[in-house]
Order: sequence, then structure tokens, then C-alpha cells
Amino acid sequence: MIKSKKMMMKLGMVSVLTLSTVMAGCSSDSGSGATEDGKTTVTFWHSLTDSTGDAAEAVIKAFEEQNPDIKINSVYTANQGEGQNEKLLTAVSGGNPPDVAYFDRFEIGSWAAQGSLEDLSALAEESGINEETYYPFAWEEASYDGNLYGLPISTDSRLVYFNVDHFEEVGLDPENPPRTIAELEDAADKLTIKDGNRFERIGFIPWFGQGWLYGWGWSFGGEFFDPETNMVTANDPKIVEALQWMTDFGQKYNVEDIAGFTDSQGDGAMDPFLTSQLSMKVSGPWEVSAINKFKPDLNYGVFPIPTPTGEDHTTWSGGWSVVIPKGAKNKDAAWEFMKFFGGEEGQKIFSEIARDFSVIDSVNEELGYKDDPILGEFVEILPVSNNRPVMTQGSLYWNELASAVENATRGIVTPQEALDNVTEKVNKELK
Amino acid sequence: MDSTTKKKVSRYSAHIVLIVASFFFLIPFLWMVSTSLKPLTQVFTFPPEWIPRPFMWSNYTDAMEYIPFFTYLRNTIVITVLSTLGAVISCPLVAYSFAKLRWPGRNILFIITIGVMMIPGQVTMIPLFLLFEKFGMVGTPYPLIIPAFFGVPFYIFLLRQFFMGLPDSLREAARIDGAGEFRIYWQIMLPLAKPAVLAVGLFQFMASWTDFIGPLLYLTDSLQYTLSLGLQQFQSQRGSEWGLMMAVSTMMTLPIIVLFFLLQKTFIRGITFSGIK
Amino acid sequence: MSENAQKIEPANNSEPPYERQLKLVPAKKKSFWSKNKHGILFASPWILGLLIFYAIPLFSSIYFSFTTYSILQPGEFVGLQNYKDLFTDSLFWKSVYNTVYFAVFFVPLSIIFGVALAMMLNMNVKGMGIYRTIFFLPTLVPHVALAVLWMWLLNPGFGLVNGLLSTIGIDGPAWLGSVTWSKPSLIMMSLWGIGQAVIIYLAGLGDIPEDYYDAAKVDGANWYQKMRHITLPLLTPVIFFNLVMGIIAAFQQFTLPYTLTQGQGTPANSLSFYVMYLYDNGFKFFKMGYASAMAWILFVIIMALTALVFITSKRWVHYQGK
Repeated sequence: MIKSKKMMMKLGMVSVLTLSTVMAGCSSDSGSGATEDGKTTVTFWHSLTDSTGDAAEAVIKAFEEQNPDIKINSVYTANQGEGQNEKLLTAVSGGNPPDVAYFDRFEIGSWAAQGSLEDLSALAEESGINEETYYPFAWEEASYDGNLYGLPISTDSRLVYFNVDHFEEVGLDPENPPRTIAELEDAADKLTIKDGNRFERIGFIPWFGQGWLYGWGWSFGGEFFDPETNMVTANDPKIVEALQWMTDFGQKYNVEDIAGFTDSQGDGAMDPFLTSQLSMKVSGPWEVSAINKFKPDLNYGVFPIPTPTGEDHTTWSGGWSVVIPKGAKNKDAAWEFMKFFGGEEGQKIFSEIARDFSVIDSVNEELGYKDDPILGEFVEILPVSNNRPVMTQGSLYWNELASAVENATRGIVTPQEALDNVTEKVNKELK
Repeated sequence: MDSTTKKKVSRYSAHIVLIVASFFFLIPFLWMVSTSLKPLTQVFTFPPEWIPRPFMWSNYTDAMEYIPFFTYLRNTIVITVLSTLGAVISCPLVAYSFAKLRWPGRNILFIITIGVMMIPGQVTMIPLFLLFEKFGMVGTPYPLIIPAFFGVPFYIFLLRQFFMGLPDSLREAARIDGAGEFRIYWQIMLPLAKPAVLAVGLFQFMASWTDFIGPLLYLTDSLQYTLSLGLQQFQSQRGSEWGLMMAVSTMMTLPIIVLFFLLQKTFIRGITFSGIK
Repeated sequence: MSENAQKIEPANNSEPPYERQLKLVPAKKKSFWSKNKHGILFASPWILGLLIFYAIPLFSSIYFSFTTYSILQPGEFVGLQNYKDLFTDSLFWKSVYNTVYFAVFFVPLSIIFGVALAMMLNMNVKGMGIYRTIFFLPTLVPHVALAVLWMWLLNPGFGLVNGLLSTIGIDGPAWLGSVTWSKPSLIMMSLWGIGQAVIIYLAGLGDIPEDYYDAAKVDGANWYQKMRHITLPLLTPVIFFNLVMGIIAAFQQFTLPYTLTQGQGTPANSLSFYVMYLYDNGFKFFKMGYASAMAWILFVIIMALTALVFITSKRWVHYQGK
């Protein structure tokens, strides 16, 4: 009995010790934004690694040189963006967010609607930053309900890549790539080589890569959202037409066979366009660096996403921004940093190292993107590019559209039904 | 056939079955190791290649420079060791109480213990975070360590099953000898449940070692990050550094393999109660 | 209430030794505290743990399930609206179907394979430590890597699996690309990672006293009889544990399909599982209230199944301790 009491005592001691170290930990908690030797510390959360990480570091260094009284505490946070915002969400709800966050522009609408981002309109006006500075879609995507909530940083666009050697092999003119949907179908047909249920080579898969319904819907002349009524219009006849076309395309080649083929998709060198198993593919400018890395001798070109008429080519663009989350401690210093990052000087540093397009046209020009035969095409189309609708349920709409494409192309529902369902479901949430 | 040849045949066939089955279970691990040694251009070739050409031993050194490997390793070790210690101290105590001691409310509490596991962590994550925010522990590793000292339902349930299997006659005998409840637990019952306690230790070690969401939410300074957060840094918007990522993954699994190899011996059949009875 | 609890509670064997011992010291009547203090003291860390780390989050999530809580905003109280909405949400039902499908096949298979594997790894042959370690390895490979590996192995055109099938003249399906085969593929993949359950079985096997086998040997029992009458019955407490935990884990299936499909549940939502949809609602669509309602419905489903297991367990779980 005495022995067991001793054991209990020991265990008790252990727990007391643990608790006391905890308490010690609590008291030494260092607050963010504390001023030390007159410097303001701005905490900046981002998910930038590799060359984009280097680019951000370069921007920070340049900023700190010009603003000796501000120190940027740059913290890498995994899983930021694309609907994976656990860390920022919890931090904001806990009332202890960073001063600045690198933020997917796509999500500004829903976060602003939740009242979780600082309204930057007044600050922007004071600093003389207005929509003239940026591409129209970038500014629009960073604004919600007429107010500005983020400063755009980077962007992209989508075009169709094609394999020039394949074109020549089947007698298509690489100088004159498809402009209309009919020409695209024709080219795809010529390029495809199918053996049983296995593709040796496939000409084109509308939904592969960046072939989202947004791109096709806009190219067919549809509209996805009506800001007047704050309702989505996924069943716009033009969008239904686009999805019908995708479905017919899938049926022609047997959609499960295509799925079997696309399962070999993946990162880097495994991409079927790089392995020459796919002749045409919708993708963004980042494909260029992948090609340079894995298949530098690939002979390729790009053309805008075809439209039914062969006119009015368009695309859509996403990208990143910097925001001040609600509850940030050092708004003024944070704004100074954002202004620099989103301004011409910061943009030039960032875009040059990261090889991401700037949201400022003159910067893209100055960095020579426009002179590049491939990248130039991507920049060329930016002024007429679209942004995904700024709305409170952007992620839901995105997911619903993606499954509508899946369900329709696999013949589970008709395109009309699929898009009616999307419209109904998303509008119910928007009410 | 005499009995010794029979034994030999059965032993050989056992080896054959085990070797064939092992082959299937080795695939994922071999793939990880082989990828960790491949140049990026070879990672996704089709059909897959298993032998790296050339062997990129530099992936390992590059990976350790790409992230502050040793800082992350140290942080991971501290969190893992402390939380494992916590689970191994607290869970057997509680499980023993559930299995062998009688007190009012025991059964209802046991049902609650199993019940709390049925609610997906995704919905309790935020309230729990806010709680730790109130305690002022966000930004410290304590939220990843302290809860283990208060018991983990999965392990409590597991150990309770093992204690249930130990005969009461042992306790009875010890009590007649004048042993107190704690001594019975510490000197008789706990040693008998050693394989299960070690299994719990191993599980908690693995869980802590590979935990991603906990460190993601609670650590706010990159100097405190763990290896599983480091793994994420090999994924960028332009594709992942698969070779480097798998190099770190391989290094991360080594301690667990060693630990497992040492522990598995205790699982060998044949502890007997007869000596104690 | 505690009467009810005792009924579905197999552990509740009355403990004669304790009672008897109490009778041995009848001199003074023991107080409530001195009678129960050991039990409560031993359980106290967990009682505290439940109160500190579980009570508030769980009660908050019940409350949230009646609101439009979005994490970022408290939302308003909407009564049972979230629960009502769920019943007309087709993706919810789809995810229920997928999850039940997975659980129905995975849980029994994992027990059969787990026990078989554990028995195999409990044989008395040289080098067993190495075999055991090998069988444990797949659980150590990170999920991201597992996902990529499986997309490879199951690749319809070039994958190892269809390659093997074609050598015996079978034209393999599109596996993860096919609506019909995606869930069986996932079940197969999950069976690779049952190392943890196997360890638990091994530890359980380690607890079976050698004496029983010696006695059976004397009686001339063969291998099958020993397994049927000694090993399996005495392993039931552990099988019971793995069954309950298997049900809970199968219904909360999340990480592997989420990584595999980048959160999309493709193809055609055939890999959209319950907790994946819950997660999307809570963290992507700002509907944490709705997600909380989903969590509590899931709780009721799992609780009902577990209660069933507990009730039947009286018939098939044998504790040596009795």
C-alpha cells in the first residue's frame, strides 16, 4: 500500500511538472506585431514554395530596404487556398490572424461576404490605386459588392496547346490551327488513333487539364451569373449547348475508354501531352515550364479555345492576391507592404522570379512576356479574359459545375438536367 | 512420411506463403524508396520503372537543405515522445478502471468514451481550437501534447479489452496478500498487458509523428514546424518535387520501422499465467 | 439509465472477489467514497480530459447543427432546418450510399484478412520479425504517395494489375476511372493498410496462455480444432474491438479518397464519402452548421450499429477473465 502511494505521488509530480511547463509556455507567448526597437512586425502568411517562394522573399527584401521601420515576418502555411483554408479560417475565428495573407482571389467574394476581410477601398483611394492599374477581371475578382478586399498579385489564362508534329503528320496546318468548334472536332478526329478500347493517341479531350465548363461556357457565349439578381444561370441555353457538345464528344470516343486513358494523367513528365499521347489540351501558361523541364524538344504551339463561330475568342483567369484578414493587428503597416507587393515595383520583382504573369499589363510588357511566341499569346488574351463570378458560394458552384460535367459526359443525366440541378441547388444557397 | 519431414515441409510451405504475401505488401514501400532515388524526369514514366537511372543519392541531401530538416526533426521528436509518454501513462490507468474496478457511472462513461469517437473530428476541430486559443496555447506545441496525458478513447477501449481478458483470480490472490489497488495494477496487471501497452505506444508514436492537421492549425512559427508540415513544402503550384518528398518520407519511416522491429518481439505468443498463479 | 447501460455492456461482470473481500471486513461500514475511490481515481485523468477537451466542442457542435454557423460568423438559429435540408440533398444521399457500400464490404473483409494475417504472422518460423515488419510497412507510406502509387498500379492501360490480369486472359476494367469499379478499388487499397489491426490481433494472440494449447495437444487436437476452439474464442475481445473501431473508421473514411480524387470524389461522385461531403460543407461552402448536423446524423447511425454489436457481443465475445 505504501509503495502504491509512492507511485501515485510520482505520477502526480509528473503531471504537476507538465502543467507548470505549460503555464510557463503560456506566459512567454509572444504577441504578433509587437514593436521591438521601434520596428513594426507584419506577419505574412503564404503557401509559396520553390521559385514563387524565392520571389516573395525578394519582394520582402526590397520592401524592408525601403521601409526600415517595418519588418516582415514571413510564415509558410501549408494547405492555403483552393478551398483548403483550415489554418486561416481557424486563425480568423480565433481572433488572431496574420496581418497579411496570400490569398486565392477566387475566394475573396465568399470571405468578404462573411465579413472576414478588411475593406481596402478607402486605403486604396488614399494611395491612388484604382482599377485602371489592373486588368479588369483581376480588379473585379478582388472586389465584392463594390468594395475592394484584396490587391491582385498574379494571374494566368487558358489556351489550347497542340502538338505541331502530330498536326503535320496527319496533314493539318500548324500555321492555321482550329478556330471553330467544327474545325476542332475535325482535327481531333484526324489525330486520334484507337485500338480496341485503348487509345494509342487521342486528339483532344474537352474536359481534360484546364477544360472546365467555365471555359467552354464562355466560349459558347453563355453567362454563368447574373449580378443583378444575384442568381447563377448555369442552365443558360448557351452553356447547355457547350455541355451537350462535350457529352457528344465523349460519347463518340466512349467516355469510359477516355477515363481509362486520362487516369494516366498526373504531374510532370507523366502528362499525356508531354508523352505525345494527347495531341491537344487546354492548359495554362505553367505548362510551358513543365515542357521545358521534362520535354524540352517538344514541338508545340497554342491557339485560343475555339468558339462555334470562330470569332470572339475568350478565356478565363484566376490568380492570387494579398488581403488583410479581419482582426489583423497592424493594418497600416500591412497596407504599406501590400501596396508595394501589388504595385509596379513589387510586381516586377515577383513576376520576374516566379514566372507568373503580373496583373499589370505594363509589367508583363516590360518583362518581355509579350514577345515570347507562346507566353505572348496568353498575355494577349488577358484584356478580354473572364473571372469566375464573385459570389458567396463560389466553391459550391465550382464543385457543382465539375460534377455536372462528369455526370453528363458519363451519361448519368442529360446536360440540361445536370445544369438545371446545379442552378437550383446553388440558387437555393444564394437566397 | 515421418513427423520430422512433415514438420520440415510445413515450415517450408509457411515460408513460401509468407514470402509471396510479403511481396505484395512490400510494393508501396519499395516504390517510395525507389522514387526517393529517382530524378524528377523518371518519376512518372510509363510503364513504371522501378530502378532509378541514375541513383540520385543527392535527393536526400537536397531534401535536407530544401527544408530545415533537423529543426523540424527535433520538433517532431519532442512532440511525439511527450505525447506518447502521455498516452502510455494515462490510458492503461483509465482502461484498467473500466475493465476491473467497480464504481457508479462506469458503464455510462465507457459508452460515452466510445461515443466521442463517432463524431468526426472535422466538426469539433474549430471549437477545440477556440478552446486552446482561450488557454493561450495556440502557437505552442502544447495542444499537440497535453491531451494525450488525459487519455485517448481509442487506446482506452483497446486496453480495456485486454484487461478484461486477465483473470480476476490474480487480483484476488494479490489482495489477500494485502496488496493495494494501485500495487495490483502496477505490479501485476500492467506487466501482463505489456504487449497491448506497447502497441498503444507505437500507435500514438505513429499518429503524432505523421500528424498533419494538428501542427498545421496550432503551430504558427516556422521554427516550430514538424516534418509532416515540411513534406507539404515539396508540393508547389507547379507540381511536386517527388524525389525529395519521398526522400523525406523514407527518412521519416525509418525510426518507426526500427521501433516496430524492436517491439514486435513482445507480441510473440506464449506468456503464461501459471508462474504467477 | 445505468440499468440500461449494464444491459448492453458485456464488461459488466459482477466481481465476486471484491464483494467477498468487503464481507471479510464487516467491522465498519464503508463510505461511498472509500468504496469507489479507486475506480474514480484511476479514471480521473480521462474524466477530466472528457470535460476539458471533449465536452465543450461536442456540445457546441450540437448547437451549431441548429444554426447557420459558418466558422466566420455565428449565423442564426434555424431549428431543424439543416436536418430537413439534408433529407432532400441528393449529394448527401449519394455520400451515404457510397459510405455504406464501403463499410459493408470493408469491415468484414478487414476482419477476415486481419485475423488470417495475424495468425500467419504468429507462426513459429525463423525471421518472423522481418515478415511482420514487411506487413506493417504499407501503413507507413504517406497518403499522397499511396494515392500516386495506386493510380499507377491500377492504370487501365499500363498498370501492373491489368498487366497481370491480361497474362491470364482477362481484360481488366478501368478501376479508379470507372464508376462501377472505383469503390472496389478503394476497398482493395484500404485492405493494404490494415497493419494496425494486425498488430492488435497479434497482441491479442500473445495474450492467449500457452497452457491451453499444451492441454489441447495432450488431448490430440489438430491445428483446425485448436484454432476453432482456443484461438478464435479467446481472440474475440480483440475482434470485437476491431469490429467496433472498423465500423467507426469505415464511416469516417476521408483521407485516402480525398487525396486520391483531390477532394472531388470522381468519377461521377462515386468516391464522394460522407465525411468528404461534410468537410466540403464545413470548410469550403461555409456551412459548418449543416456539416454539424451531418456529423450528428452520422453519430446516430454509428451509435445504432455499435449498440447492435454490443448487444450481440454477449453471445460471441468471451473474456478469459471470467
